[in-house]
Amino acid sequence: MWPGQWRRAAAAVALLTGVAAHAEPIPSLPPYSGAYQPQGVDERGIWMEFDERERSFRDSTVVINDAPLKAYVMQVVCRTVGAARCQAVRPYIVRDTSLNASMAANGMMIVHTGLLLRARDEAELASILGHEFAHFELRHSLHGFRHDRTAGGIAAWASVAGAAAWAYGGRSAYDTVRVARSVQTSAIGSTYAHTRDQERQADLLSMAYLKASPYDPQRFPDIWDQLLDEKDATAHGRRQRSTRYDRAGFTDDHPSTIERTTTLRQLALAMNKPGEDGKERYDAALAPWRAAWLSDEIKRNDFAGTDFILRRMAGAQWSADLLFARGELYRARGHPRDLVAAAGFYREVIARDPTRAEAYRGLGLAQLRSRDAGGVAALRTYLTMKPAAQDAAMIATLIQ
Amino acid sequence: MRWFCAILLAAAQPALAANTLVAAHVPVAVARSPMTVTPDCEWNRMGARPGRRSESWTIDGDGLNEVTFYGGIEPDRTLFREVDKHSKPLPRFSRTMLLTDIPALFESSYRIALNTPVMTIETIASARFLGEKGVAFTYTYARVDEEVRRRGDGVAAIVDGRLFMITFDAPAIFFYDRDAPAYRAIIAKAAIAR
Repeated sequence: MWPGQWRRAAAAVALLTGVAAHAEPIPSLPPYSGAYQPQGVDERGIWMEFDERERSFRDSTVVINDAPLKAYVMQVVCRTVGAARCQAVRPYIVRDTSLNASMAANGMMIVHTGLLLRARDEAELASILGHEFAHFELRHSLHGFRHDRTAGGIAAWASVAGAAAWAYGGRSAYDTVRVARSVQTSAIGSTYAHTRDQERQADLLSMAYLKASPYDPQRFPDIWDQLLDEKDATAHGRRQRSTRYDRAGFTDDHPSTIERTTTLRQLALAMNKPGEDGKERYDAALAPWRAAWLSDEIKRNDFAGTDFILRRMAGAQWSADLLFARGELYRARGHPRDLVAAAGFYREVIARDPTRAEAYRGLGLAQLRSRDAGGVAALRTYLTMKPAAQDAAMIATLIQ
Repeated sequence: MRWFCAILLAAAQPALAANTLVAAHVPVAVARSPMTVTPDCEWNRMGARPGRRSESWTIDGDGLNEVTFYGGIEPDRTLFREVDKHSKPLPRFSRTMLLTDIPALFESSYRIALNTPVMTIETIASARFLGEKGVAFTYTYARVDEEVRRRGDGVAAIVDGRLFMITFDAPAIFFYDRDAPAYRAIIAKAAIAR
């Protein structure tokens, strides 16, 4: 059975029986006071550390400092969590191909380009950004820090007690060491369990934001499903065993993905709230960036995972830019059958947009690598259309 | 058992091998390959190799100026040693690759190995290298964790189905401009024994 089918079967059983999902009620939004300042030495210290990190991060090479893009992400945050709450957020768009985002205790929100590429619409992006904002509003950094400090202290003292019992010996030394080790293990395990609980809380509060927002809450579990499908595709393409999604290990800092998806799906169904997906706005805002982010994605050397993303983005209708990206992906892997497929994709691009010089380049190179003499004509067309291309001299040498 | 441990320790020695001085104006074989170069100044050969068929030289330290020799990468092999083969496999060289595919292979390998999306091939041009048709390219990149803007040059050719390449990396500020002539002197006198 294909790994995704196992997962979907497990998710369906969990959804029907309600086993995996605890289905806690969606909380009401907590009261919010703007311009919050850190309280106490712990919180001030954490904020100071993040302030310092933000200062160095602001000028980082990986940050995309594009005002319209940042403004758009900010709009999505504001539509999700409300105009008052979003004033605390400072978004940073980071060139990173992974599907991820994070929010620091001081209001620095980091959004990866991999998330922006994979989310199909505003509602999917909103659900993730709402989750990250929930970590911020619930002050999870501070609570996590305090919990880890307490658990670390308990583990350290248990270690001292165990060592002392071992050194002094006596009839109960063995039992004392066993208890000390047990306490240590529990203390360490509690730090991960605490983080998993925080993730659950953030999921619930994100659902509360979505309930009050104009967005469709069904899109939250959808993006998790997509992530799992992509992981399955990657594993299949690399001939690896797919990851288990139905249980959280001792050191996992997130709940099992099946549990999250099932819980979120149940909550969304129970909410039964219609909402918009904001797809048109989303596509328009990200259109100037899509080619660059697709190029980053292709260079990850994850053929099956990237092909899955492209197929999901295309749906039933392949646009010229997605066809071109698929041609580049297949040409990069370069198996004989890939080169034939790539040439086909480039031809479709040319049929739709004959002015696209790069499609002639890709077609010509795919054909030349397949020892198809037709590639020379395609590369000549490319050079005619783009005589000043940065690789023009090299291409000219290839077709001499 | 002691003998087994001793053999294991001895086998680990090459990875810990010290750097050695490379004299100026003396032809020297590089990367355990038939490729020889004649530098016009002294370099240090790094003890740690990036891969089975490669080696690195530096003047002041590998983060400041580094020339890497790839001495005949075989088909279906990676450019460098794979650190995380399971979740971050590197792309592999293929004998059917065109010369224009080499910079793309290099870029993808660097992005994955250095875990950075900030890598761009700036120029690609044809070049003669080791007596063959080759490709010369320039690139820029930055590692995510250090924020130093770096520049690099590379030249490559496919000889008898194997990839031979020499690249040069240095911080864009000061070191690139100062040491690029020494790199160009190396590639100008690179030769291959047939």
